[in-house]
Amino acid sequence: MNNEFQLEMKNIRKSYGNIKSLRGVDLQIKPGEVLGLVGDNGAGKSTLMKVLSGVVIPDEGEFYYEGKKVKVDSPRTAKNLHIETVFQDLSLCDTLSVANNMFLGREPTKFVGGIIDQKVLHAKSREQLNRLGIDISSTRLAVENMSGGQRQAVAIARAMLFQPKVLILDEPTAALGVKEVDMVLKLIKNVKEKGVSVVLITHRLQDLFEVCDRIMVLNEGKCIDDRPMDQYTLETLIKSIMGSPERTNAS
Amino acid sequence: MSAEQNVYISGRIKQESHLKKFIRENTSVISIFGVLFVVSIFFSSVTNSFLTVNNFTNLIIQIAPNIIVAVAMTFVITTGGIDLSVGSTLALASALAATLLSAGVNGLLTLAIVLLAGVSIGTINGYIIAYHNIPPLITTLAAMMYIRGIALLVTGGYSVAISGQTWLVQLGRGRLLGVPIAVMVAVIIAGMGLVALKYTSFGNYVTGIGANEEAVRRTGVPTRKVKIWTYILTGSAAALGGLIIAARLGSGSSNIGNTFELDIIAAVVLGGTALFGGAGTIIGTIIGVALIGIIQNGLMLMHVSPFIIQIIEGFVLLLAVFINVKFFSNKK
Repeated sequence: MNNEFQLEMKNIRKSYGNIKSLRGVDLQIKPGEVLGLVGDNGAGKSTLMKVLSGVVIPDEGEFYYEGKKVKVDSPRTAKNLHIETVFQDLSLCDTLSVANNMFLGREPTKFVGGIIDQKVLHAKSREQLNRLGIDISSTRLAVENMSGGQRQAVAIARAMLFQPKVLILDEPTAALGVKEVDMVLKLIKNVKEKGVSVVLITHRLQDLFEVCDRIMVLNEGKCIDDRPMDQYTLETLIKSIMGSPERTNAS
Repeated sequence: MSAEQNVYISGRIKQESHLKKFIRENTSVISIFGVLFVVSIFFSSVTNSFLTVNNFTNLIIQIAPNIIVAVAMTFVITTGGIDLSVGSTLALASALAATLLSAGVNGLLTLAIVLLAGVSIGTINGYIIAYHNIPPLITTLAAMMYIRGIALLVTGGYSVAISGQTWLVQLGRGRLLGVPIAVMVAVIIAGMGLVALKYTSFGNYVTGIGANEEAVRRTGVPTRKVKIWTYILTGSAAALGGLIIAARLGSGSSNIGNTFELDIIAAVVLGGTALFGGAGTIIGTIIGVALIGIIQNGLMLMHVSPFIIQIIEGFVLLLAVFINVKFFSNKK
């Protein structure tokens, strides 16, 4: 590989009117690295994540993918780069079935006119759910009838479906019970071993200590701390999140 | 898969019998079909002429244009939109067709021009709604006014007789193997609509946009284009409907199709398509169109005053929306 980073962003800025959501953020992530992204509410985590996934277009900044400069200006371009995202608000369509949600925008079709190949659709969805150990009785069920955990699982299964190289998870464990959190964390370790870069946004600090290699702390739209995991303790991490990182050997 | 990996997401959903599942998923369609049945029995018992082959043929010829437009409207409403301009488009199409044919333009060219007018109207509506986020209610209300105005301008307010022989009038009067051509066209379009809404990616996007537009956008689907296409469907369907009506009546007029849009919306909503989007059913729409057609037809056969028919129709629309919002819409 001619570049050590899977993905690199430089000087990302984004304002919403007077509110400067991101004020020049740099972000790098290596293949197979799990990066924790933390910060208080309003620090810019979700905006940064939306920039990564092409949902929000930054006012300024550069985007490099596998060392090459790219332009991510729509969710489609991000997907074409194999950047997959699980959004905090899940982004599922309630009235569509599990399988239709998983393949939304990438349905397997046959004949002309985009008729969905139902057999392939449901078989592939079932296969994916089984692979991830997700228990949903039928892929034909509408998502609206499901529990928070099941919906979360469907969203994660969708993101994992098309061999992501970068997987972005925004609060993936927020709505989950203990067992389900365990499943998500196992999943993260699992994909990391396959060389997938993971960006994990969460308020559950214990999750970070379990899976992350590195943690980036955002505060008021800027990165104020960026260190390998072993240089943090729960205490120093909380200090950073509160806005006053310890100046030891870090940035 | 190792036992250790085998971590399950809990909260399973009970398996139910196929019949129960079918009933739960199709409650709205089944109940509207029940109403249709009861209303038909009522009219059959109070009038002698309702349950006759002649009346039935008449009825299906009359509702053919409504089915065509209502199928298209189902797509628009399923995205969470609405198109109030179909009645005016219907009138413009009929006026345009009659005027062109009287001026000696040949059938094929007339057909092309009228359909193109419908496509253009749909494109303009869709563009304003999808790309500029103007509420569909207002956009198409404005269109309803200016399109009717254009239709009046074309005809000068008179009705224009279709003179001369053209194959195009077969669209309204002709039969093939004993079946009225207009009905055939309606059946073909309904069939295509059914497949498109239920079994294609496009139908998935339409339903998804009604349920959660941002979610569909985030998967990379060009949601704005999908929305424009739904308005092109209603625009061109209304144009085709106007053409069929003009062909049947042998004249075009800028005054037809007043409150046509309300009949169509009532039919779609009665059929069980969620008024605020996210769920649509073509079968329901067809039954809805049939129900409204039968109510109008039956009341007329009972010699009920047209004023009273209008009052009843108003309440049917209200009832349709009421039932739809209270019982069938997904909870938002």
